[in-house]
Amino acid sequence: MEKDIVDYCLEYARSKKIEYAEARGVDTNVENMVLKNGLLDAYAVTIDSGLCVRILADGGLGFASSNKWTKQEAEKIVNIAYKLAKNSKRKDKIKFAEEKAVKTKWDVKQKKKIEDTPPEDKIKRLLEVDKTIMSQKATVAARMLTYLTMLAEKYFVNSEGSVISSFVPKIEVMPIGVTVVEGGKMEQLTHKWYGYTGGWEAFEAWKIDEDLAREVQVLHRLLKEGKAIKPGKMDLVCGPEVTGIACHESCGHPMEADRILGREMSQAGRSFIYQGGPYWIGTRIGSDKVTIIDDPAIEHSYGYYLYDDEGIKARPRYLYKNGIINEFLHNRETAAKLGTRSNGASRSMNYDREAIVRMANTYLQPGDMNEKEIFEDVKYGVYMHSFTEWNIDDVRFNQRYVGREAYLIENGELKTPVPRSTIETTTLTFWMAVDAVSKKIGYVSASCGKGDPMQGAPVDTGGPMMRLRGVYIK
Amino acid sequence: MSENMAKTEDIVKKGKALGADEVIATTVFGKYRQSRFSNNQIDIGVAWDDYTTNVLLTWKKRVVATQIKNFQKVTPTVEQLFKLAKVSKENPMYGGLVQGKFQYTKPMADTAIRDLEDPSEYIYEAIEAAKRKLGKNIDSGGILFTKYEQIFLASSEGPKGQDERSAIELSIRAFAQRDESGHGVECNSSLKGFNPAKAGEKAGEIAKLAKNPKAGKTGKYDIIFDPLFSGSLLGAYGFMGSAFFVLTKMSVFVDKIGKKVGPEIVTIRDNPGKYSVNNRVFDDEGAPVKETVFIEKGVLKTYFHNTSTAKIFKTQTTGHAGIVQPMPWNLEMDAGNMSKDEMFKDVKKGLYLTNTWYTRFQNYATGDFSTIPRDGVFLIENGEIKESWKAIRLSDNIQNLLTNISGISKERQHVHWWLEAEPPSLSPYVLAKNIQITRPE
Repeated sequence: MEKDIVDYCLEYARSKKIEYAEARGVDTNVENMVLKNGLLDAYAVTIDSGLCVRILADGGLGFASSNKWTKQEAEKIVNIAYKLAKNSKRKDKIKFAEEKAVKTKWDVKQKKKIEDTPPEDKIKRLLEVDKTIMSQKATVAARMLTYLTMLAEKYFVNSEGSVISSFVPKIEVMPIGVTVVEGGKMEQLTHKWYGYTGGWEAFEAWKIDEDLAREVQVLHRLLKEGKAIKPGKMDLVCGPEVTGIACHESCGHPMEADRILGREMSQAGRSFIYQGGPYWIGTRIGSDKVTIIDDPAIEHSYGYYLYDDEGIKARPRYLYKNGIINEFLHNRETAAKLGTRSNGASRSMNYDREAIVRMANTYLQPGDMNEKEIFEDVKYGVYMHSFTEWNIDDVRFNQRYVGREAYLIENGELKTPVPRSTIETTTLTFWMAVDAVSKKIGYVSASCGKGDPMQGAPVDTGGPMMRLRGVYIK
Repeated sequence: MSENMAKTEDIVKKGKALGADEVIATTVFGKYRQSRFSNNQIDIGVAWDDYTTNVLLTWKKRVVATQIKNFQKVTPTVEQLFKLAKVSKENPMYGGLVQGKFQYTKPMADTAIRDLEDPSEYIYEAIEAAKRKLGKNIDSGGILFTKYEQIFLASSEGPKGQDERSAIELSIRAFAQRDESGHGVECNSSLKGFNPAKAGEKAGEIAKLAKNPKAGKTGKYDIIFDPLFSGSLLGAYGFMGSAFFVLTKMSVFVDKIGKKVGPEIVTIRDNPGKYSVNNRVFDDEGAPVKETVFIEKGVLKTYFHNTSTAKIFKTQTTGHAGIVQPMPWNLEMDAGNMSKDEMFKDVKKGLYLTNTWYTRFQNYATGDFSTIPRDGVFLIENGEIKESWKAIRLSDNIQNLLTNISGISKERQHVHWWLEAEPPSLSPYVLAKNIQITRPE
């Protein structure tokens, strides 16, 4: 990367009448593979490189980027961003929360470097996974595996003196549409994510072969033995995957301060939390068992980072604490508006996208029970281990999770598989119903969608097993 | 011949000289501008310029691809790509790139969009229009986006052409109160005829109707879908019409060619016409795009193909490459014979849904899904809007919904919105009977 051009970009921006400027250079090396029904459709390798500038001038924000690395181009994007900032003519001037300048370098080590692993070894491992899927005693009618790695080098400078260099490798494998057929019926593993920040060593650590073999067997058993439950109020035990998606959707998203302030209103939506509304910091939203944390600094997590894209040091954010709304996710703009400090939640997915407020790794804090204790007290209910369809309204209050792998619980024991058991409820009802949380935590990776244009952010979601009392399941 | 075309062809020649069987290169110069707004003010102006050549190379049915962003390193990048092909894995189902020399339609991109550096005035036009409908004290947010792309395509298999693509899109959501909102979009390939006030008026009108919403009730309803909602549904059918997703059983249209999938009033085609924000003259293989009838009078006529998937299905490409995934460009549902008013009169007890988001499937092959209506949700009784509702979910089956269509309006709108009404479409009001609505318990 030509860091001198990024420096020049900032220097040129500082020559304008600005309140703040930052320049960011990003080099990425991306590998993609698509394995469709056991055949390698394509292997793509892209080396991308570009720089951007964001300027705060006259209380307005302008952002411009280019992938041409020349000083003339740097001047061009500064001129565009400056003009866009000035032209916004805001009555309510944007300010950034004050932060100290940071000069640092950080990186993530790979035990086995992705770039040193031969392409043929990567293909071989994907084909082995596919073979495992197909070697189960079940008819698999279709399946797809996608593979993605990204090595990202970033260089960030701002007008307050921050200079931050980083190198972050990420690896992801995603099975999609694994379709199992039995007796004229079919069930699908619509999607599943394996994500890691680090090197090729993740591929073995995930134990994908074993995990997907199990997924196929689960769907096969569901088709053969599944019995629908009679809808009604009952207990629900959620596995880490379901706990995680609920933490992400009905805690992480509504706690994004840009949503709360309305900046995403026409796309990803707003939040049930807003100034003057029934929910704000200090309001109860769940039982005292519910503490949900978003922490970017969990080593090798898929959402890992040490400094955000505004140069703010990452730290755990306690979003819901003992059932009380506690701390929003902030960037410098939202923090200034709400009279606080940024907590390092500003992320951008490439040089041509502005950084916006994002989650990193959102999870329910473990409790003190073991899993046996969680189940033994359930007379009648459902254990939802994983989910298929899910969604939530755009203020993050009306949500639904449909079980992919789920079982009837009777007198503390797991019984028959339950096809597509569904909880459709509100955020308040869901989190208030939690009465027990286990010790053992698990994480599932995902790509979080937000922004326009869309910026899919790598995240982890997770938590321990949790028990909800007396919720409506259909 | 332009310098850009010469450079693009040079990449193809380099690949062939190394021993590749096929090489296709597409150079894109893209100029993109966006203004985002909320609380009736501009939050940020965004500009991104992109200079890229996409290269796809095949060798003994091994398919590899890259994007060149650094034009100082063209030769080593193509050499690396060829090395990758040599160690990659053969795909026996790969059917090659389209062959032949084609005459393409002349691109009709609007250079006025290219020259528009700061289109924020259109945002204020939309906000003012919403205010005229809703009153001064509204809250509104959205985006204004412009695109101007120059494309140079060269393929070792014959296709060679230039395209210019332009688009301007405005999306506005207006709020009277926190739970009283409406959404309007205005999309065009040219500035001529682009009317941002129309989007603002629509958002304002819906938000005004959405006054004092009550929690909705579970049940089966006849539903009128606004064109913005119909656009989302068309997107789901279009996705499932891709041969790629048929081959992976992520579609309700598997083995349905020639079979009835909807009522006779339903005809859906794909047409990246000149009006479309996704207008183009060739696909990613260089095959000319054309109008493709997808569903005709309720019968599934074709999937969307590139050359490879067409060979698997023993047919011809439909001009929808994506080298890996063929996809529709711009879906159109043929106009019906009802006016919007007649459609409302046809509903004794039902709902009018103006927008949706977060459509997710339990199982793509069976089509079981749910989606969450947002903005105006209205109970209709005896043809009249009786109440404004909120907090409901449409929880049904995508094939069932298609089967149950009983009315299509004459009026259609070109809609595109974020990832929800994607790809762009020309969508009517649609009436579907007996659709399941659920709500949180």
